[in-house]
Amino acid sequence: MEWFNDFWSTYSTLVFSVGVHALLALSIWLTLSCGLLSLANAAFMGIGAYVSALLTLQLGWSFPAVLLAGGLAPALVALIIGAPVLRLSGVYLAMATLAFGEVVRITVLNLEITGGPEGLNGIPLLTEGWHIALILALTLYGLARLRRSKVGRAFEAIKEDEVAARLMGIDVDRYKLLAFVLGAVIAGVAGALNAHFTFFISPREYGFENAVDIITMAVLGGTANLIGPVLGASIITLLPELLRSLHDFRSFVNGAVLVLVVLFLPKGIWDPRRFRGWLQRVKGGRA
Amino acid sequence: MRFACKTLVLVNALACAGLVQAADIKIGIAEALTGGAAQYGVAISNGFQLAAEEINAKGGINGNKITLVIEDEQGKKEESINVFKKLIFQDKVLMIFGPTLSNSMFAAGPVANAAKTVVFGTSVTANGITDVGPYVFRNSVMESDVLPVTVATATKHYQLKKVAVIYGNDDAFTKSGYDVFKKVLEEQKLPVTTTETYVKGDVDFKAQLTKIKGSNPDAVVCSCLAEEAANIMLQARGLGIKAPFIGGNGFNSPKLFEISKLAGEGTFVGSPWSNTNPAPANQAFVAAYQKKYKAEPNQFAAQAYDALNVAAAALKDIKLSGDIVADREALKNALPKATISGATGPFKFRPAKTRSGQPGGWDADQKPFIYLVKGGKFTLYSSK
Repeated sequence: MEWFNDFWSTYSTLVFSVGVHALLALSIWLTLSCGLLSLANAAFMGIGAYVSALLTLQLGWSFPAVLLAGGLAPALVALIIGAPVLRLSGVYLAMATLAFGEVVRITVLNLEITGGPEGLNGIPLLTEGWHIALILALTLYGLARLRRSKVGRAFEAIKEDEVAARLMGIDVDRYKLLAFVLGAVIAGVAGALNAHFTFFISPREYGFENAVDIITMAVLGGTANLIGPVLGASIITLLPELLRSLHDFRSFVNGAVLVLVVLFLPKGIWDPRRFRGWLQRVKGGRA
Repeated sequence: MRFACKTLVLVNALACAGLVQAADIKIGIAEALTGGAAQYGVAISNGFQLAAEEINAKGGINGNKITLVIEDEQGKKEESINVFKKLIFQDKVLMIFGPTLSNSMFAAGPVANAAKTVVFGTSVTANGITDVGPYVFRNSVMESDVLPVTVATATKHYQLKKVAVIYGNDDAFTKSGYDVFKKVLEEQKLPVTTTETYVKGDVDFKAQLTKIKGSNPDAVVCSCLAEEAANIMLQARGLGIKAPFIGGNGFNSPKLFEISKLAGEGTFVGSPWSNTNPAPANQAFVAAYQKKYKAEPNQFAAQAYDALNVAAAALKDIKLSGDIVADREALKNALPKATISGATGPFKFRPAKTRSGQPGGWDADQKPFIYLVKGGKFTLYSSK
């Protein structure tokens, strides 16, 4: 037990980060599963973080209410910008959502209430391990159910072929908007959780670099199912910490691992189709 | 028998020496050694290593050697928290120096404060850092201590009547510098003709400078980082602005005036450290740094060097018990009383004024040096 206490006091923040990053990777997995390459999730995370931090600092709301608001605020924004932005697809959508992210960042930079470039500090420590575990479990369960539902099938159809999906009678625009808004909710809650265990937030944390980080997690892990993003988020978060003993070579090895994975496992680490292929080869070998 | 007795005494003495030797003082260093802030973090870490070597070469502190546990926090807030927790709970260091950036301190400072471990920042200048709690110390001189002196000196020297202001509005450092300038200019009743802004990465400032030229100021106050400042000065001269510049901490880079050549002539800059300060402690530091690293020291290295010496001065007065919790507490109580005369001049702490009125940490109580740039070099300004 003492061993665990030692471990927990040193690495609790790291474990929290794994959970939050897993939520972020899942949020982008959701939009990807509907065939949308959206890079707005870092901005949604930022909106969630700022709204929740301000509610805690200025109005002293209770933590559950703050988390709820942190999820709903970006959802509202997603609902408003979704209609025009989701008419785009592919690279154009990526560019539009990227521009949206910049708009959010620059807005936060120039507002008085957000503290501008100096950010907000003194956010109380409210996030506890079980909050993250519970929300992550609920999200995983919800998304797993969603995949098997009518909505999930519609997402799948839209991803494979939008025109065919439309011809089958799927309301493509509405399902896309749903995926976009749900993704924003998850990212917003992740942002709210993160703000309440890192004591400090600033606009720089929700910029382009982080948008890319989030999509890297999902793509590295694999987007075929829900295990991929969680695995990717865990690896991206834990790898730098595991490599700490390498000192100066740390960033180098970290980068090399990512490049190798992308080169040799283009579909991500968790790729069920490849696993099935291996299984068959093993069986074939025996026969 | 006598021989045996002597041997016994000798062995005893050795054993005792061994015990004393074993009580190394572990000190954590968390700085950004990679990433965007590495240019500061590496210099800071060099400063610490130099100071530790010197202290150990002189026999340590009351016979105890200092061991530094150096970790890279990459200038990121989560990374800083992770590093702080590793140093506090796993390496069980007595105290932590760092992190490099104010943002990281806002994130990691509360961790150290909650764990009742002294955290000592050498390069964190933002307002509110020492609001975090009583375990937070810094010897980084704040802009709000430097700029009033800089502005007052320049006003007197040039007989300034009105000034223009330019600053980067998307960077925590330049924005907080501007806030201080604004307050100082109001207090010293110096009218501002126009206030212009730019964002990080801009290379063309002609639009802003044309407006500044039109307002005809006696001087241009600039809260900028060195990268942008060089372009601003060169382009200002290109447009025919003759007014001198007044710079914040971002101007504190000898490189800047190498690049801008004569464009920076007559610029006033305030700094907590001066390369040319003739005090023996500073000259010894500069010489030792050049010898060890084959490079010129800068303000960040000097502040780190001094910080470890301040901590050493405090450690001299306490008896380490070996119980880490008690020792950390003892250090926290001893540190505010520590004073030295170091590379950055005479140093002592003063209690921070917090926004909430609750007891906070400890800020530096130091006089800044005021430079006047002459012939592309910093020269110490004396009013005569």
